[in-house]
Amino acid sequence: MKSINALVLSGYGLNCDYETSYAFELAGARAQRVHINELISGSVSLDDYHIMAFGGGFGWGDDHGAGVLQAVRMKNKIGSKLLSFVENGKLIIGICNGFQCLVNMGLLPAINGDYTERVVAITGNDCATYRNDWVNLTVNEDSPCVFTRGIRQLEVPVRHGEGKFYTDKETLNQLMKNQQIVLQYAMPDAKPANGAFPFNPNGSIVDIAGICDPSGRIFGLMPHPEAYNHWTNHPDWTMWKEKAKRGQTHFAKNGLTPGVQVFQNAVNYLKGKYKK
Amino acid sequence: MPVRIEITQKPELLDAEGEALRKKAFDYFGIQTQSIRTINILTIDAQLNADEIERARTEIFTNPVSQVSSLKPLPLEFDWTIWIGYRPGVRDNAGATAIEAMQDLFGAALSVDAAAYTSKRYCLKGTNLNRRKVEKIASELLANDIIQQWKIFSIRDWNTEQGIGFILPKVSLDHQPTVTTIGIDSDETLRQLSNERNLALNPKDIPVIRDYFLDKAVQKQRSLEGLVDPTDVELEYISQARSDHCNHNTFQGLFHYQDYCTGENRKIDNLFKTCIKEPTLELQKRKNWVISVLWDNAGVGRFDDDHYYVITGETHNSPSNMEAYGGAITGIVGIYRDPMGTGKGSRLIMGGYGFCAGMRDYQGDLKPRLHPKRLLDGVIEGVRDGGNKSGVPTPFGQVLFHPGYMGKCLVFVSALGLMPSRVKGEPSEQKNILAGDLVIMAGGRVGKDGIHGVTASSEIFSEHTPAGHVQIGDPYTQKKMQDFLLEARDQALIRFITDNGGGGLSSSVGESALFSNGCEIDLDKVPLKYEGLDQWEIWVSESQERMTIAIDPENREPFFQLAAKHAVECTIIGRYTDTGKLHIKYNGTTCAFVDLDLLTKGFAQWEFDAVWKSPEDRGLIEPVLLPVRECNKHLLDMLSRPNICSKNWIARQYDHEVQGTSVIKPLIGKDRDIASDAAVIRPVLESNRGLAFAQSLLPFYSQIDAYHMTTCTIDEAVRRLIAVGGDPGHIGGVDNFCWPNIQFDPVDNPDGKFKAAQLVRSCEALRDMCLAYEIPLLSGKDSMYVDGHLPGRYGEVHKISALETLQFSTTSVISDVKSCVTLDAKMPGDLVYILGATANELGGSEYYDMFGYIGCNVPQVKPSQFLTLYRALFKAINQDLIASAHGIYRGGLGVHLAQVAMAGGLGLSINLESVPVEGGDELREDKLLYSESAGRFIVTVDSNQRRSFEKHFDRMPMACIGQVTSTDRFTVNGLNSTTIIDLSVPELKNAWHGPFGDMV
Repeated sequence: MKSINALVLSGYGLNCDYETSYAFELAGARAQRVHINELISGSVSLDDYHIMAFGGGFGWGDDHGAGVLQAVRMKNKIGSKLLSFVENGKLIIGICNGFQCLVNMGLLPAINGDYTERVVAITGNDCATYRNDWVNLTVNEDSPCVFTRGIRQLEVPVRHGEGKFYTDKETLNQLMKNQQIVLQYAMPDAKPANGAFPFNPNGSIVDIAGICDPSGRIFGLMPHPEAYNHWTNHPDWTMWKEKAKRGQTHFAKNGLTPGVQVFQNAVNYLKGKYKK
Repeated sequence: MPVRIEITQKPELLDAEGEALRKKAFDYFGIQTQSIRTINILTIDAQLNADEIERARTEIFTNPVSQVSSLKPLPLEFDWTIWIGYRPGVRDNAGATAIEAMQDLFGAALSVDAAAYTSKRYCLKGTNLNRRKVEKIASELLANDIIQQWKIFSIRDWNTEQGIGFILPKVSLDHQPTVTTIGIDSDETLRQLSNERNLALNPKDIPVIRDYFLDKAVQKQRSLEGLVDPTDVELEYISQARSDHCNHNTFQGLFHYQDYCTGENRKIDNLFKTCIKEPTLELQKRKNWVISVLWDNAGVGRFDDDHYYVITGETHNSPSNMEAYGGAITGIVGIYRDPMGTGKGSRLIMGGYGFCAGMRDYQGDLKPRLHPKRLLDGVIEGVRDGGNKSGVPTPFGQVLFHPGYMGKCLVFVSALGLMPSRVKGEPSEQKNILAGDLVIMAGGRVGKDGIHGVTASSEIFSEHTPAGHVQIGDPYTQKKMQDFLLEARDQALIRFITDNGGGGLSSSVGESALFSNGCEIDLDKVPLKYEGLDQWEIWVSESQERMTIAIDPENREPFFQLAAKHAVECTIIGRYTDTGKLHIKYNGTTCAFVDLDLLTKGFAQWEFDAVWKSPEDRGLIEPVLLPVRECNKHLLDMLSRPNICSKNWIARQYDHEVQGTSVIKPLIGKDRDIASDAAVIRPVLESNRGLAFAQSLLPFYSQIDAYHMTTCTIDEAVRRLIAVGGDPGHIGGVDNFCWPNIQFDPVDNPDGKFKAAQLVRSCEALRDMCLAYEIPLLSGKDSMYVDGHLPGRYGEVHKISALETLQFSTTSVISDVKSCVTLDAKMPGDLVYILGATANELGGSEYYDMFGYIGCNVPQVKPSQFLTLYRALFKAINQDLIASAHGIYRGGLGVHLAQVAMAGGLGLSINLESVPVEGGDELREDKLLYSESAGRFIVTVDSNQRRSFEKHFDRMPMACIGQVTSTDRFTVNGLNSTTIIDLSVPELKNAWHGPFGDMV
């Protein structure tokens, strides 16, 4: 195995494929944008990849519920290929629209290892409109999620109209018990947002921003780590620059951003697994 | 037998849409409701069995976790229910994707006539509701009768079994497509016909058109094709091509300009040529970064050695004025096709917007079709959905209120793209067509949409304006097409590409055929949404999301394979030729046969009388106004004025970070809530180079002199770039004119000559400024009929004209984004400087407007003096001498100091005594604070940098006027060293967020 290969889905209204690929490349993977129909036709084989990204966007215009129609198509056309991809121990990340698609296919949360059942919903924001804003996230360090290892807090932007995580009490209890809740919206001081807008931007129950499957190898989140691929993406970067100029902080102008570290965790995990 | 699925949120879940509607009904009309729940309805008209319907309902259209659904009416409680659906023929995006999804689920195609229609039902509970109130909610908040139909049921008339019944908005035209020939026996006949058919032919064009068709040689050639008199297809083609929208007859007109006071008379032959084209060509010689201007769908500038950026902007005023959401989404999605059709095609990287509307809280007697509040809501949502779903960041935009926009609102949309400098070794900005190339129509299908949109936007809005030209854009279809076209471009499959906008195929094929000098089109090949369109309708339909492409016939197979991969419909509709003819056939029979060069000769130039009267001659005076004394309260009220205050709720709804390129965001500062001077993106992710973009609108100054309106607007748009670190050596410009009618008519347009003179002056200012600041005009458009006729209280009708408006957009390339600065005060102890001199220039200012004055002393731009300062600031920013920079714009120094403080969350301690005044005169405190003199900035500087900073600006108008403080006090000391303003930063913010702070 020469490289860690990342497949980033594109087509049908998806739109974060360029920067998601770029984040993977920064993280040390070889990334390729692949049209959904190339997977379906078989002209591109999932076997050649170690990680798949279901990226952000508006698949099928998000008509009939965000991520719903993409899930219908993928489940019906290549559902079994996706399941064997998962069984082979490979990784999947679903970001925003991709997260919505994963829960609609049932790949998340896969409680008890059932990767086909829809048991959580991501529905319209309580604020009733699309919202783009940076959020503070706390990471559950007890979660098995391989993408967030070593990360305790994360600041990245949300950009969605349908990001409210919802499920019934029983499923929620299971998610908590299995440590499948990975990311939660928080206040700037890392205390729970407790539903307070705009810190919890959408009204998600228990401030849930991201979950994983029981293995920790499938990760879905509403915020966009790939949108923090460069230090100048952060809203405070001009302030950091000014502080650094005066010797008050070190402005890490090089180094990987926390957003890219999410992808790097995945790549490192895969390197450990495939490059022995 | 159709089926109807009703779907709703489970009762324990908040119905955010219903809740938002409940709040709006109360906020807008004081109508109280206890609850509103929303039901989504999908009516499927297809041959499906019960099992298939059940699978579709449960596996696609109902989320088992959050929703419930039924084929019967859902038994939600209500006192009243409102059903809203589309009218026949209106684009139903979700209906179309429902069919796609069912085909995926069943693994088989549905029959061609299968259709799905989405609609909604709102269940309202409220003891005080009555039919009148519910009707108001339906017609004034939810639906627009141009595109939608609705029904209202009280619980008493509700049939729990039948519900809304089955309403299928299917288009069925029982019509045999017919080509009609038109008699041209006299000018009068043709004139009458033009009116009857809404051709909007200019009376002066009529003899030229007749001469052509009466020409013996022409007649002889036509007779070989079986044609005698012109056909409707031909006249529609000529009408579209000659419309002001396509041909810019106004800007290319002959102006007889007279200065009323000096008696000076002069002629200006062609404003476009003298004020736009010639200066830009001149600058192109000097600026090697200018790659392609003045001919393509958008202008092209160099970003780096390997990439070019592309920019254009336009307006979508008339459609938005009638159907705000549909007009605006069609506008943004439409402008995005321009960069896609520039050169061999570019990838979209950024969008911008500018909305001008009547006062949001208008309560007067005029009755516009849509109240400004509703209109603005719809426009905001339209650009939001269109931009977000296109996957393009929208990091900059402005909103402006003025009563003049009640007649017609303005919706400016701008688009920027990026393309590799070469495609398989060939220059990407160039394109050509060879005879024999295939004519391909890609994207959406053709219906009766938007027919005569172009000619309607060249007319003043009246009750006779055809409503059919309002559409709903479909960003999903277009996004698929864009992905496809970029891949086709990179494989060098595209020889030529252009978009279908105004005028449809008539414009896109007609104009592209000039490259090979001819084409032969089979109209019957054009895929239709429904049968029954006349040939001329197919030819001029403005159905959206279509591109026209020329490909080498050898590339036919790979091109169509790629289209299939991307699920994009493409059709060969003809062939380019070199015969000099536009030859259109339908089922083999010729229905148009016209010489392409007909449009280039013989048509009379439009002529305008322009009479300029100086502000003094028009009776404008400086108001006699003693200074305000309650300076604290006054500043807070200034910050709360609609044209000053925060409009964050709009920027937050617009995705400004997709593509991962964001560097300077629309909202800045500690709390990320102050509007930035400009946007900066890093469009090539692997590079640290940046692209800065800003826009400006200052129509208020047109009340005094459109010359100075223009110079100030351009200066502001340039200064906005400089403030973030833009390079004054690379400024690209885009001019978008929106002007009231300038054709004098003693009854209908008695001040037409003055408005024409304002246009001449504005264009001359554009020319002067572009040459002085060295701004090539990369692109530009004009919309010349910004007037409306509004009924009043007693049935009388008022003509309302907009202020003469220019939106100016600017771009700059930044060599390293890490040099960029933002406007927020950074550190306590930093020094506050003002750069540039302040003059007694409050004419047209926000300060005067607050008291109902216009005044006379409009701000003056002094380009060479300003440019020296801008160059110095650019260098200072690049030498890291600056902690923050912010231009001083509308509202003046007082308002913009407050913004610097609010953004930093830090206090400022300011002394007005040191503010440099133009000519060294003394200026009153209120004038220092609220004059809108151009060319000025506020910058904050580390006190350790004081010497080098001051040395850097030696001999320029500059002064240290205070300090950033660690307290939250915003204090201003006046000329006698007494404190005239002392407020806390939270107080400033309260005022600034006051009017719209609750909106999300």
